[in-house]
Order: sequence, then C-alpha cells, then structure tokens
Amino acid sequence: MSALMKNILRILRTEKGWSQAELADRLDVSRQSVNAIETGKYDPSLPLAFAIARLFGRSIEEIFDDGVGAAEAAE
Amino acid sequence: MAQLGFRTATRRYKYLFWPMMAVYVAIVLTTSFLIDKDTAAPWVNAACAVGVTLPLFIVLYAMRRQTEETDEYTRMKQLKAMRDGGLITAGIAFLVGFLQIFNVVDSVDIFWFGALFFFAYGLSNLTNCFGRVV
Repeated sequence: MSALMKNILRILRTEKGWSQAELADRLDVSRQSVNAIETGKYDPSLPLAFAIARLFGRSIEEIFDDGVGAAEAAE
Repeated sequence: MAQLGFRTATRRYKYLFWPMMAVYVAIVLTTSFLIDKDTAAPWVNAACAVGVTLPLFIVLYAMRRQTEETDEYTRMKQLKAMRDGGLITAGIAFLVGFLQIFNVVDSVDIFWFGALFFFAYGLSNLTNCFGRVV
C-alpha cells in the first residue's frame, strides 16, 4: 500500500465556514469521505481531486502534497 | 459503470430497500400464520419459499447497484465489508462442513450462512465507522 498524501482540505473548508457535511453535499460524496480525506486515511481519485480543486479555485498541487515535490524543491 | 454520486445512489438504494423489506416482513408473517408447512402441498411450500426469497434477491441487487453508483470512498467501504462478509462466511462454512464430515456436529441449516454473511458485513462496516479500516 502506498503512503498517503498530506492535504490542506480542512483548512480550506474552515476558511469557507463549511461543515464536513456541507462540503460533502457540494462534492456529492458522503461526509465520511470528506473526513477520511481530511484525516489522511484516504486519497481521492483524480476526478474527485479535480472536483475539490475546482470547488476551492486552487490547483491540485496546492491542496495535495505527496511529499515528493517538497523533497525535490529542497534538493 | 455509472457513478451517480452519493445522494442519488443512496436515495435509489433506499427506494428499493425499504419497500422490499416491508414486502419481506409481510410475506414472512402471512406465510407463518396462514400456511402449515407440515401439511401444505409441496408446491405451496415451494411458492412460499420463493416468495420470501424474491424480495431478498431484489435487496441484493440494490446493494450491487449502490456499490456501482455511489461515491468512490463509500464504494470502497462497501466492497471491503462485502469482502470481509464473504471471506468470514466461506471460512465458517468450511469449518462447519469439516465438522460435519468428521461427525462432530449434526447438519446445520444453510439458511444461517446468509444471516452470517450479513452479520460479518455489518461488523466490518461498524469497524470502519470507528476509524479502523478493515
């Protein structure tokens, strides 16, 4: 099983003042899905990652970090 | 595979699940009170058995459809619960089967393996709810 990515979804959601249920409604996923992504237990698929990025007006890389980009930048 | 999203998939599942459960309970109660299975004609008993099972088949179809239509995380959870339910049921079926072959236990009604699957399925879902991914 591959290592899970870090993300700033919780920060973006609270900035908007949304609950997990509200964000789940906007993405048409379950509240548990949002919780699992925020707590790093689950990595979303590309279509869902794009939907999240589109919803917050950010790029996928701004929201999700697999650790490789940061490591490469540090080298 | 048509992914419709969590809300639509859940609504479509409930619209099939609850009416079928009501039909199932109604048929079980009706056949329990009106049919004496020891004296009824074989075709009546067979019709009752098939009648009780039909709504369950439709619920199984609804479960299958929901896993296709819901969001990816819910699908993953459902499939993991079904996997656990299936493997636990298969394991216990083998165990009971060999206990029978070695004359340790008498025959066990196959009916209970269906119930066992849903018990294990529910247990796996419950474990997921408490944050431990099974």
